[in-house]
Amino acid sequence: MDRECCWDREAIEQGDCPNVGVGEEDLLVSKRQRNLEKCCECPRFLNGLKQLHDDNNPLAPVLTSFLAEYRRQKTQIQSLVSFLDNKTLEIRFLHELGYVLQSSVDLDEVLSVALTAITAGKGFGMNRAFLLLCDREEGILKGYLGLGPRNMEEASQVWNEILQNDMDLQTLAQNFRLNKLSSERAKFHDVLEQLTVPLSNKDHILIKALDGKRPIMVEGAFQHPDVPPELARLLGVDTFLSMPLISRNRRVGMIIADNCITHRTITEEDMHSLETFGFPVAFAIERASLYDKLQIELNRVTEAGKKLKEQQELIVRMENMALVGRITSSIAHSVRNPLMIIGGFARSMLKNSTESDPRRTFIESIVAETRQLEGVLDEILNYSDSLYPTRDFWDVNQLVENALRDTADSMTSLGYSTCYTPDGDLPAVYIDFKQLSYCLRTVLQNDINGISEDLSISIRSQKGENCVILRIEDCSRLISQAELDHLLVPFSETHDLGAGLGLALCKTMLDKQGIPFVAQADVHSGIRYTITLPTRKEEQS
Amino acid sequence: MSRLLVVDDEANIRLLYAEELKDEGYEVVTAASSAEAAEKLQGGVFDLAVLDIKLKNESGIELLQKLVKERHEMPVILCSAFSCYKDDFSAWLADGYVVKSGDLTELKQEIARVLAKKAQKIKAGL
Repeated sequence: MDRECCWDREAIEQGDCPNVGVGEEDLLVSKRQRNLEKCCECPRFLNGLKQLHDDNNPLAPVLTSFLAEYRRQKTQIQSLVSFLDNKTLEIRFLHELGYVLQSSVDLDEVLSVALTAITAGKGFGMNRAFLLLCDREEGILKGYLGLGPRNMEEASQVWNEILQNDMDLQTLAQNFRLNKLSSERAKFHDVLEQLTVPLSNKDHILIKALDGKRPIMVEGAFQHPDVPPELARLLGVDTFLSMPLISRNRRVGMIIADNCITHRTITEEDMHSLETFGFPVAFAIERASLYDKLQIELNRVTEAGKKLKEQQELIVRMENMALVGRITSSIAHSVRNPLMIIGGFARSMLKNSTESDPRRTFIESIVAETRQLEGVLDEILNYSDSLYPTRDFWDVNQLVENALRDTADSMTSLGYSTCYTPDGDLPAVYIDFKQLSYCLRTVLQNDINGISEDLSISIRSQKGENCVILRIEDCSRLISQAELDHLLVPFSETHDLGAGLGLALCKTMLDKQGIPFVAQADVHSGIRYTITLPTRKEEQS
Repeated sequence: MSRLLVVDDEANIRLLYAEELKDEGYEVVTAASSAEAAEKLQGGVFDLAVLDIKLKNESGIELLQKLVKERHEMPVILCSAFSCYKDDFSAWLADGYVVKSGDLTELKQEIARVLAKKAQKIKAGL
């Protein structure tokens, strides 16, 4: 036995044994531990054992046998520890994955996590993965998302990036979803488009895996009887794994994974791990899909609720409208008819009375007062009409020509000349025809004083962007902007009912319809009105 | 002399119309309802009808539609307390529209205008 060797010394100094390194100082004072961990691998100890053999020591073969068995068992333990470590890592990974998957109801997030887990080094470390989803309505299995590099150069770049950033799975998945999901979709668009298989194609390898609810490791894809040549060409690999995603016995989709860059062998172990991983993924995908559907239904319900509320408000408005309508109708009939009779007979009496008739003054007063009351009534009725516009699409030319025709007699009798210059190809405008007719008639016939010598009114229509612009130039009425602005305020303090509310009513009516109405006055050139009529419903407030 | 049919459910309005329009040189026949109007129409030819839109429980618009269908040669002027019908489709069938007022000048002018137009049409053989 080599007496220089330290195997039988209780305690040794650092440097006495070449196998004891820094950090293993506890072995210096523990002979038993040192013998077990270091001596059986030490060449000096083995030399000593050889000497025992040479000396024909009967313990030598026994010790050699013990030593061999010890070393075999030690190797086995190390292998088991390594296996255990791997499994621990795998369980940790699956736990982390499960946590992420369970906490998400966003389909894209779930898919990002799933594919990241398959392709990340910290996950299953596959080079590339495709996710296909079952479309039950269409009866197909359809490519949805792909992840992974397309060539070695891209692979090096991506893997370096991952290595440098040292991100956990959740961060990796988040990063993928936020920054790469769209680009990966676009990158694999051509592949995904072709990854469509009818669920009825029972001979197809993917459908076989799906129906069998078991993963299939495909080797020799280019010669495989169940792998269509176009699929093998599309993937460009000889070996790939097709893993079905099944949730509660329902076919959710499929993951195809391969090592297209490194060509590392896909082991049975890989397949089992991926199979374990497939269940929560399938469940999460189904849950996220259901959540999406639920969200769509919820939006529909919310939308329906909103519409219902609008309808309720509309009903209330309609009821108010009907009430206003009934009231105004009642006023019209109950007040206007007696007024007409009083005023009419008073005029008749006035017509038949002589200038010297002492009652003439009284009759004239009755005529004047009924005229005033009729004016008040007109304004109230017009104002109530203005509260609830009823809009539809109308022809602008018809609107203007109607207004000009309606006012032609009175305008001519006052010595006015009017003209209309329409633009070509005018679109229909979305307006309340009655109210706009009233506005145009009022603008033409309004009783603003300050008549100039030029009694002309011109109307021009012009097509604008989503609108038709009506420009009315009245050269006859010469007033200041301040005076005109005052006339545009309904029921202002200085306004009495029946004292010419026409323009103010026009503005109110147009405001209610969200139609811009601009009136510009110049004491020298007259009034210019601009009315912008919308051609689309949404152009109105 | 032109013969006018005035239909209004208010007796005093019928009286006012009759007096004023007679003064203008027309022969005026009045009716208080659609049924009475139909009766009067059976009894003779009229050059023009003046209709109220709201006739108690009846609609003057319906009577207008009936007259346009059955007596399209007779023009009709609507005379109503409601100015809102002026721009209503249903009222566009009428040849004229006047909002009721104590001042019958507008109604008289409208009657004269519509009758002149009718005379022109007859003259032109339309």
